[in-house]
Amino acid sequence: MLIDVDPLLKSLEATALATKIRDSVFLFPMLESTHVIGLALVFGTISIIDLRLLGLASTQRSFQRMASDILKWTWAAFVLTALTGLLMFTTNASVYYHNLYFRIKMLLLALTGLNMLCFELTAGRTIRNWDQSPSAPRAGKAVAALSLAMWIGVICMGRLIGFTTTRAAAAPPPPAGVSFDDFLQGSPPPGPPPKRE
Amino acid sequence: MVKQFAEWLSTTSPSLFLQNHNAWAIPTIQSVHIIGIAVVLGSAFMIYLRILGWAGMDQTLRQTTSRFAPWVTNGLYLMLVTGVLMVIGEPVRELVTFSFWLKMFLVAVVTIFAVAFRRSLRKNERRWEETLVKRRSIQGLAILTFLIWVGIIILGRLIAYDHIWGPWSPATKA
Repeated sequence: MLIDVDPLLKSLEATALATKIRDSVFLFPMLESTHVIGLALVFGTISIIDLRLLGLASTQRSFQRMASDILKWTWAAFVLTALTGLLMFTTNASVYYHNLYFRIKMLLLALTGLNMLCFELTAGRTIRNWDQSPSAPRAGKAVAALSLAMWIGVICMGRLIGFTTTRAAAAPPPPAGVSFDDFLQGSPPPGPPPKRE
Repeated sequence: MVKQFAEWLSTTSPSLFLQNHNAWAIPTIQSVHIIGIAVVLGSAFMIYLRILGWAGMDQTLRQTTSRFAPWVTNGLYLMLVTGVLMVIGEPVRELVTFSFWLKMFLVAVVTIFAVAFRRSLRKNERRWEETLVKRRSIQGLAILTFLIWVGIIILGRLIAYDHIWGPWSPATKA
């Protein structure tokens, strides 16, 4: 690796805010709960839009109208989710950073952004032509299906992070992460036994 | 008594199966449960926004509930199934907590609210569309119900941290 990020992660963990969250009995659970509420609203509202694009629900409504109605709430919820996620990350940055599921989750999040860009460059350009149609053109449907799949993936990875990381500062980061073979065979991941949270 | 039941449940074969496959079974079940939360909260949210007049104003209240209420109901069934599986998989961790039982109480409250709302809407559709939906008390009730959902989600997470309830938590006495 060109840049050594570990000192940066360590200093993130040492910040007053991260320490305060770690030392509090209820701040971390509250961050987790708010994260779940945020992600539920993100995935819940995005799937309403995706099902409309696929022609599976709300087929009688104008797409444009629905998007302007709903997506602002999606973005607000996304900000809430990202913020709480970032705060949780600071409490144990070096462990999360090296966690395989965390990395897959970040990759998937980046891909959902790219997917959104794909929509803007394809079906998003011709909304006027299909706004009242029960479903979007093929490219729009592909984007919607990918979006649903990737967000489900994000949720599953998020839950796995909770099972494979621990907040104990003493825990060394699993150097190679956890392999999918371990996961499929049901054997415990390498490193210290995960603390259930 | 609950503790004895939980301990008995943990010796049954479905529970032992889940305990022996917990590396993939529990995270998978929990992920599906979270997807259920998203379906229920997202759909209920759209109904509340319509009642508050903040979204879906191109649709009638009836159209909005016909579109979203079935998703709330089916999402709740999905959560019931995955929730029962989680209890079977980790009976003591789930049942011997204050958070779990307060959560179940709030789930019952919110279900009664939802059933009463749908019945009333079916019976007095006109009155709902024209006057009731604009009434402050009804809008307040929509916000209150949303906050109960929020409380339910927080309590779900707190099952894992039940000790924060101190003497109220049966887990701390164990």
